[in-house]
Amino acid sequence: MGWFVLRRTGAALIVALIASVLVFFGVRALPGDPAVVLAGEGATPELLAQIRHQYGLDRPLPVQYVDYLRQVLSGDFGRSTQDRLPVSQILLERLPITLELALLAMLVAIVIGVGAGIVAAIRRGRAADYVATGFGLIGLSVPHFWLGLLAVLFFAVQLKILPASGYVPFSEDPGENLRRMILPALVLGTGFAAVLMRQTRSAMLGQLASDYVRTARSKGLSGARVVGVHALRNSLTTVVTVLGLQLGALISGAVVTEQIFVIPGFGKLTIDAVLTRNYPVIQAVVLVTVIGYIVVNLLVDVTYGLLNPRVRLSGARHG
Amino acid sequence: MRTRKFIAVLAMTVPIALAGCSSGSGGASPSIAPPAGATFDARPVKAGGTINVALSQDPDALDPTTANTFVGREVFASICEKLYDIDENLKIVPQLAAAAPEVSADGKTVTIKLRTGVLFNDGTPMDATAVKKTLDRNRTKADSARRSELGAVSDVAVVDPSTVRLTLSRPFAPLAAQLADRAGMIMSPAALAAEGDNFGAKPVCVGPFSFVSRTSGSEIVVQKSDKYYNKDQVKLDKIVYKIITDSNVRAANLRSGDLQVAERLATNDVPAFQADSKFKLLVGGGLSYQGITLNAFNVAGTDKAPGTVNTPLGKSVQLREAFELSLDRDTINKVVFNGLYEADCNPLPMNSPYRDPAATCTKRDVAKAKQLVAASGVPTPIPVTLLITAAPVNQRLGEVVQGMAKEAGFDVKLQPTEFVTSLDQAKSGKFDAIQVGWSGRVDPDGNVNDLITTGGSNNYSGLHDPRIDDAIHQAAATTDDTKRRELYTTAIKAQQEQHCVIYLYHERYFLGTAGDIAGIRYYADGIPRFATAGFAA
Repeated sequence: MGWFVLRRTGAALIVALIASVLVFFGVRALPGDPAVVLAGEGATPELLAQIRHQYGLDRPLPVQYVDYLRQVLSGDFGRSTQDRLPVSQILLERLPITLELALLAMLVAIVIGVGAGIVAAIRRGRAADYVATGFGLIGLSVPHFWLGLLAVLFFAVQLKILPASGYVPFSEDPGENLRRMILPALVLGTGFAAVLMRQTRSAMLGQLASDYVRTARSKGLSGARVVGVHALRNSLTTVVTVLGLQLGALISGAVVTEQIFVIPGFGKLTIDAVLTRNYPVIQAVVLVTVIGYIVVNLLVDVTYGLLNPRVRLSGARHG
Repeated sequence: MRTRKFIAVLAMTVPIALAGCSSGSGGASPSIAPPAGATFDARPVKAGGTINVALSQDPDALDPTTANTFVGREVFASICEKLYDIDENLKIVPQLAAAAPEVSADGKTVTIKLRTGVLFNDGTPMDATAVKKTLDRNRTKADSARRSELGAVSDVAVVDPSTVRLTLSRPFAPLAAQLADRAGMIMSPAALAAEGDNFGAKPVCVGPFSFVSRTSGSEIVVQKSDKYYNKDQVKLDKIVYKIITDSNVRAANLRSGDLQVAERLATNDVPAFQADSKFKLLVGGGLSYQGITLNAFNVAGTDKAPGTVNTPLGKSVQLREAFELSLDRDTINKVVFNGLYEADCNPLPMNSPYRDPAATCTKRDVAKAKQLVAASGVPTPIPVTLLITAAPVNQRLGEVVQGMAKEAGFDVKLQPTEFVTSLDQAKSGKFDAIQVGWSGRVDPDGNVNDLITTGGSNNYSGLHDPRIDDAIHQAAATTDDTKRRELYTTAIKAQQEQHCVIYLYHERYFLGTAGDIAGIRYYADGIPRFATAGFAA
């Protein structure tokens, strides 16, 4: 198991390095000069040149990259070109907010998606199955933006039972924090729940039709035990895979959700940074996201190994 | 019963949500009467309270020397007063200065008397030394965005604690207007010494409110200052500026009560707020303009020598005239903006004293446009690629232009482009036509100089006409208003003969407020001033 983790970690580091190169040069391949954005309407050529010099944009790209890598390795992401605050400070402010949102959305998705998936599989072909499948179809089809606006207008404007927007740190007021996170988490979690529901249903149907389930039933085990302990456990490999793969969708969904609910998270930061060609922030955001992906995939791999010993054995044999 | 209520609420909500998704376009609704031009709600206000104010963009660093965003000016209005300000009639009035600037006969010496007994929000005195420190910083700091604005100032001297004298290298009429903007925001020397280049992270000036905190990309908090010279008139305890870039979201938050003030409501939201007694609308703006710039001479970039662009519109002034004649400004205003903007063909605001009162805009004349096209000998349809910002309202504007120009023989292809990219293309001359505007300045010089003068960094069409250059430069060097008006009239007429910039309209800004908020001042510059604002008594 130790060798398995070590091998996966080494591969992850290489991917992170390649990602840093792609991010750095990819960002600079975008059309649009950050100096033009910073200098505003009345920019003179002298001011543009000064801004490019100030942010090191007038140096050769390889030199800029080496400096950037050196900075990043020392934990310094530079300063935001928009408000000149340290990027690391901005990330530390923003990342926990999106993580909280993603965690709550995931919770919503697991409760609704896995629950509905199990029910749909057990009640296959009956009303509950059609309702769950219908929910899945709607959840997948409805865009976050529209659903978010609808939720704001319904719960905040019409019913006035939840706030329309804003964020209060958990440390400041846990109750208000959760109250403000309900709508965004529901909106973000709905689409994710639909995916989970479909995958859980499909995996459960496969397991329920297996020989070992028939054997378990013939041994006289209760239905709840067969479903809850045997079939569900074996379906979880699929669910965990989907959880990992969908993290990206969750973060990209957060981009839109945070815009609608005015949550100062990672998603909103990403959009703002791209629109203002804020290179240091874009680089940091993408790099942290890539590393987040890598870590989650690593955890998924390790979890596979724990759930299914054949995975780590095969990894060791072919390693 | 509960189900019925749910359905009823849903029935009300869905159409609103659907309307929300059609962001910015006027839809098929008929044009409506613009709201009365209220710039101030004079109801008495009580002391205390916090208001949430939505800004439409994230300001850059709050350092008056380097700041460039419009929304930054909105925050500065609460925390950084200027030597001069404008009033509701666009007249320049003293703010931290005690009187209008005294200009010497040769126009090269300007003496400014200051208010006395004024403190910065850190408790240190605002005096002539502080003014010199600020102006020198603005003039000399390497990354100062104010250097060109104060380019005529060659020296700043302290005459006495309440008087500064500016020596100019040339007479410069727009100076007072520049000092009524960021160049005239006086910063605390103590804070400058303490923070240096990071002043923008903790700005300290003279203002009715003082800076408290900023969460990047999210909010800026300011609170009532107990050092302000006029603190008795300040009623609010705190203002939280929230960054909400989407106009639908701003409108929804204003409706839900999460916001008390939302700036720049979309024109398609205006009728609903106008009709709802729970809200009030203040109307500002008018300084800015929007138009279509045709690339005639910008062959390789605004910083390169102009040539003739090898396109039908670039080569033929008659075709550019035909393109302009094919457009109907009033219809554009009605169809795209519910008739809420001001259709115009002039870069100066409608009420500017520097406009030629006799000047009128050309009306749509398709027959004449067709004649000009036929006379040009260019086979129709004539292809034109129009760059527009990728946003629903700009798309709609582009489609209307496309439809109108088609009748005259132009095949307009719309190219929606992200804003920063489109600016890049405009500066580098890689465009046929671009829909672009200017946020506007109080002094006319700021609305033409650099925009239509030879080599101007915002002169996207590459215009290079000595008549225009001479008139604009002479107008900046004289303080005789009648003479200035004549010169600007000459310059604008010369531009109109070239048909490089087709001015279309002046934007109006709609500031939505909760019904119980009063005392906000909202003028042509589109900057809400909260010094006297509060909850209605």
